[in-house]
Amino acid sequence: MNYTSFNKNEEFFVDMQRCIGCKACELACAECETNGQESMIHVNYVDRAATVQTTVQVCMHCDDPVCANVCPADAISKDEFGIVHTANTERCIGCSNCVMACPFGVPKKEENYDLMMKCTMCYDRTSVGKKPMCATVCPSGALFYGTRDEIQEMRPNSTPVNSFIFGKEVVNTKVNIMMPKGSTELVIY
Amino acid sequence: MAKLPVSEEHIVAQFGPHKNYSPKEGYEGRDEPDELVKTHCCFCGMQCGIQLSVKENKVVGFEPWMEFPFNEGRLCPKGVQRYLQNNHPDRLMSPLKSVPGQGFVPTSWDEALTKTVSEIKRIQEKYGNDAFSMLSGVSLTNEKSYLVGKFARVALKTKNLDYNGRLCMVSAGAGNKKAFGLDRGSNNYSDLEYAEVIIVAGANISETFPTLTHWIWKARDRGAKIIVIDPRMIPLARTADIHLDVRPGTDSALYGAILKYLVDHDMLDHDFIDNHTSGFQETIDAVKDYTLEWAEEVTGIKKEKIQQTAELWGKAKTSFLLHARGIEHHSKGVDNVLGCINLVLATGRIGKPYCGYATITGQGNGQGGREHGHKCDQLPGNRDIENPEHRKYISEVWGIDEKDLPGKGLSAYEIIEAIHRGEIKGLLSICFNPLVSLPNSNYVREALEKLEYYVCIDFFLNETARHADIVLAGSLQEEEEGTTTSAEGRVIRIRQAVTPPGNAHTDTAILLELARRLGVKDKFTYENSEAIFNELRVASKGGTADYYGITYQRIEDEMGVFWPCPTIGHPGTPRLWEDRKFKTPDGKAHFNPAPYKLPGEVTCVDYPVILTTGRVVSQYLSGTQTRRIGKLVDQFPEPLLEIHPKLAQQYGIKQRELIRVSTRRGEGIFPANIVETIREDTVFIPYHWSGKKSANQLTPGTLDPISKIPEFKVCACHLEPLKEIAPPSSESTAYASI
Amino acid sequence: MKNRTYNIKALLIATLLSVIMIVLVFYGSRELQNFDAALITYLFGTVFAFFGIIYRYTVWLQRPPTWIYFKRGICFLFTGKVFSHFWFASKETIENIAFQKFIYPRGKYRWVAHFMIAVGCTSAFLITIPLTFGWIHFTMAPNSISVYEAHFFGFKVMDFELDSIMAFLTFHALNWSSYLVIFGSVYYLRRRLTNPGLIATQSFEGDLLPLILLIAISVTGLGLTYSYQFMKGFAFDFLAVLHAVTVIMFLIWIPFGKFFHIIQRPAQIGAHIYNKEGRRKGMAVCPHTGEEFATKLHIDDLKLVTKQLGFDFSMEDGGSHLDLSPEGKRSRLAQAHLRARQAGGNLFG
Repeated sequence: MNYTSFNKNEEFFVDMQRCIGCKACELACAECETNGQESMIHVNYVDRAATVQTTVQVCMHCDDPVCANVCPADAISKDEFGIVHTANTERCIGCSNCVMACPFGVPKKEENYDLMMKCTMCYDRTSVGKKPMCATVCPSGALFYGTRDEIQEMRPNSTPVNSFIFGKEVVNTKVNIMMPKGSTELVIY
Repeated sequence: MAKLPVSEEHIVAQFGPHKNYSPKEGYEGRDEPDELVKTHCCFCGMQCGIQLSVKENKVVGFEPWMEFPFNEGRLCPKGVQRYLQNNHPDRLMSPLKSVPGQGFVPTSWDEALTKTVSEIKRIQEKYGNDAFSMLSGVSLTNEKSYLVGKFARVALKTKNLDYNGRLCMVSAGAGNKKAFGLDRGSNNYSDLEYAEVIIVAGANISETFPTLTHWIWKARDRGAKIIVIDPRMIPLARTADIHLDVRPGTDSALYGAILKYLVDHDMLDHDFIDNHTSGFQETIDAVKDYTLEWAEEVTGIKKEKIQQTAELWGKAKTSFLLHARGIEHHSKGVDNVLGCINLVLATGRIGKPYCGYATITGQGNGQGGREHGHKCDQLPGNRDIENPEHRKYISEVWGIDEKDLPGKGLSAYEIIEAIHRGEIKGLLSICFNPLVSLPNSNYVREALEKLEYYVCIDFFLNETARHADIVLAGSLQEEEEGTTTSAEGRVIRIRQAVTPPGNAHTDTAILLELARRLGVKDKFTYENSEAIFNELRVASKGGTADYYGITYQRIEDEMGVFWPCPTIGHPGTPRLWEDRKFKTPDGKAHFNPAPYKLPGEVTCVDYPVILTTGRVVSQYLSGTQTRRIGKLVDQFPEPLLEIHPKLAQQYGIKQRELIRVSTRRGEGIFPANIVETIREDTVFIPYHWSGKKSANQLTPGTLDPISKIPEFKVCACHLEPLKEIAPPSSESTAYASI
Repeated sequence: MKNRTYNIKALLIATLLSVIMIVLVFYGSRELQNFDAALITYLFGTVFAFFGIIYRYTVWLQRPPTWIYFKRGICFLFTGKVFSHFWFASKETIENIAFQKFIYPRGKYRWVAHFMIAVGCTSAFLITIPLTFGWIHFTMAPNSISVYEAHFFGFKVMDFELDSIMAFLTFHALNWSSYLVIFGSVYYLRRRLTNPGLIATQSFEGDLLPLILLIAISVTGLGLTYSYQFMKGFAFDFLAVLHAVTVIMFLIWIPFGKFFHIIQRPAQIGAHIYNKEGRRKGMAVCPHTGEEFATKLHIDDLKLVTKQLGFDFSMEDGGSHLDLSPEGKRSRLAQAHLRARQAGGNLFG
């Protein structure tokens, strides 16, 4: 958190319909220095018996992170760039509140460490102005990290959306999901 | 000898496959490497640019190479993990000899090579030169491919040299030669970007060439329609505009019906057909009865979907047709390819911006490796070994008497058959694992056991090498300088990141030393890989695959050069046929009749279900490398039998129940994965595994009469549920291949 | 507003307990008879730290997610098979608090280093705090010139010969602690200065300063010993002041910085008990994957806690987004996205 070469013009854009389930991101995530050989990104089949649809999920870095709110140990914090950091190792008590409360299903409980770990948007890379590992290697563009202008130029018929409706809750995030042009929110229910 | 010296379990315990994982916080020095070496991934024809992090002569990690134009840093899971093949506990560090009862024991280079040379001489004196054969592979660089071709003909003096490209794209190669007189994808992939319609036939791009997905999606972002032809709903097909779920073995019927539709509705480019092609009339005559109804009957695809496809294809202004092994691995693979090419030629959409056609080469150097003469009928520059002029030219380059240059030899599977018949007694193999990758593996095993002498050059003790008398510890891709040619036809530089570990040698050094000991040192003196490349340039000069104008320096400066590139000043040729000057004898593109024929094996009462095979995203070919990388194994730990719920219901099969799958050649037991994403009449098994989990125990050795490619993609099988649920995939040891 | 009630409660409790503590110091040192006046600054530091810890702990405990764990943990401990619960809690305490076994899988050396720091700090606390409070003091045994007696709370607990091994170990106990702390802290400091992942995410005051403080305390403490033992008191006063300053900084730091985790850690056992009890009561099944993924108790409690915190994941039909497993949530999101994309007429672009 001492480095300030974080590029504020670049943002994360996700489009899970482009995902081909190859898991390049998952393996690349483990090459990120912040999380050792554990992978923090999620790729899973949505319903394998019926379709090959896969989804990919990075931490959405919520404006008001539910994970941090439900943490009984104050182990999760958000920094000045809006990055919601992984659990502070000495504080986390491994209760999994964050794992079960996150509306996007992001935090991961590493059982043998008795520790929650989550995506920090490759803080070791983004904090020095590089792109996150997953978005760098993603061969399908399901994960893209760059400027709004770039994504606008590449995908003129889509709009980045960062407001998500889960029942009665509206969750606003730093990370965007690409939606049909003109959309303002994604209603899950 | 060629039998296993000790039990397979014993060999596996010592030489693997063992799963290699990176240490918890990465290899020592990963964050402060001595050097980032700009090179390419070894795991498919895309040849993605990648930077390997090197610390103290060890590859410790990677860093994306953002500037390389094809992939701009993008990688697939194999690419991300490729660095783990280096530093691997299974790596062969010295020559080994097979000692019955003891296994493989280290030996000296001198002993290994002396033994090899004396056995080569003994066999050749006793049975004739051609009784000693050589099998090679197209994961080798252009330099090594060229060297192997020359080595076999000049040093071994045998005609029986072939390569594993025989299992890769030879049907496409033969089809392209017939139609265009030249064998290369006609366009580079940036032509996909503004194509209006893209047909992907039998190419599971998102699992076998994941990084190509970017270019397809890019086209879709611009509104391209995409049509996927595949018996399974592959990831690309899920979002496709049209998915033609073709019954395996009936592809040519589909292309024939589309061609007839184009003709009947006059969606043709008459100007192009009249001025630049030949053979149109015979070709359309061959499909005159191929109505949509007939095609629906044969292919199992709804006729409306075929019609929609023909309409889209017929009316498009720009288009790209891509195909791969799905249509090529057939006893009529060449016909299937020609069927595709006919659709391209009929609409005249080739040799123009965003109008393309290409086969997608599977292996690392599948393109370059198939051009420079380690194929049984070929000489460098994609010359013909039976053409007197070509023979004369190459003999001059090599400094030999044309009469001493052997003629056309047997193809890969035919070499195995000849070994089985006892006609071939000796084998030298490099970069090829036929026991896993050839069909009918039980038969291949029998053949290997009949060899009098088998010597193998490899960096891991692959499943075939377990049968060797001598194993020579060779080099990994990142341990030698060289070039490869990507599936787009772009010649690129492979850089030596590290030197071979321990007492292992580079493949080149081994071949040169063998040549010296075989008494032809004067023909095999090269200072370095660049010297071999420079000889290759001369050898390819004037051939169809002309590399003469390409130099190491140019590749470096221009991030790759597209062949043909006949002179130093030539810019290279990213897009072929803009000049409409085809390389056929009459200078025209050729239509070729591609009538529908039955596959080599059809379903019957005893074998009522169609079996097809293919790949998974985390494994590469026979798995010699990727079954040794822990996370790639864990991603897909064992081969599963994909089966439609309706077919499963007929047999009362439950999810993950063990199923005995048998064909006329063998049987294997696989857990069932019940999914709606496959045709109801077809089951699918991926082929990367060996031993009891090998899909190729089941596949037939039926060959295409022209390309000699085996029919991996269709055969008839019988299913028998074993009433037992398989243990979890995570417990599988299939990777070890016992 | 809510925070204010938390704060007032916490202030009251902390003040009350601190007063009790001062009373205990008074009586524990036999009305200050045994109190070592030289340690007065340390006493103030310790009492302040005590106040801070209680205050911070109370605030922390009142937060809804913490409170529910605390409440459930205590309830479970005292209902049903009380004996077996205490057995489980004791076992957990030894494994997780005494031996910190969960660190081992994160790294062997990390565990060794942490264990060294933990043992060093704990033993130092156990010695210095009672000394500061005047609860422990040593006297020469009556009628002897070589036997020492140790007193706790004014009661004699043991005696030993002046040049015995026991004496050597006892008088140098703080030195042994210092060595342990230095070795452990230097390992972590090195790690923090070289590991790129840590470099990217750590802060000076939160991560490096605590280690530097630990090393400073230990080094100055050792310096005091060596100064009077081998260097005839060279720079003793300077070192004494430096030591006092670092120790007091450390003490004040405890409630608000990295060291609070020492106080917080027992909550881990609460989480384990909570999980164990939850399992006994039954698992929640994800409506999407059809698989068990958490205890039902946990999911039900989270629905309450999120509501208390101002999040409402309930749906029109009465269900809740929290009924889904993480995988189920991701899949439902992807399905909603697919529907939205399809409704938009194009999956790409």
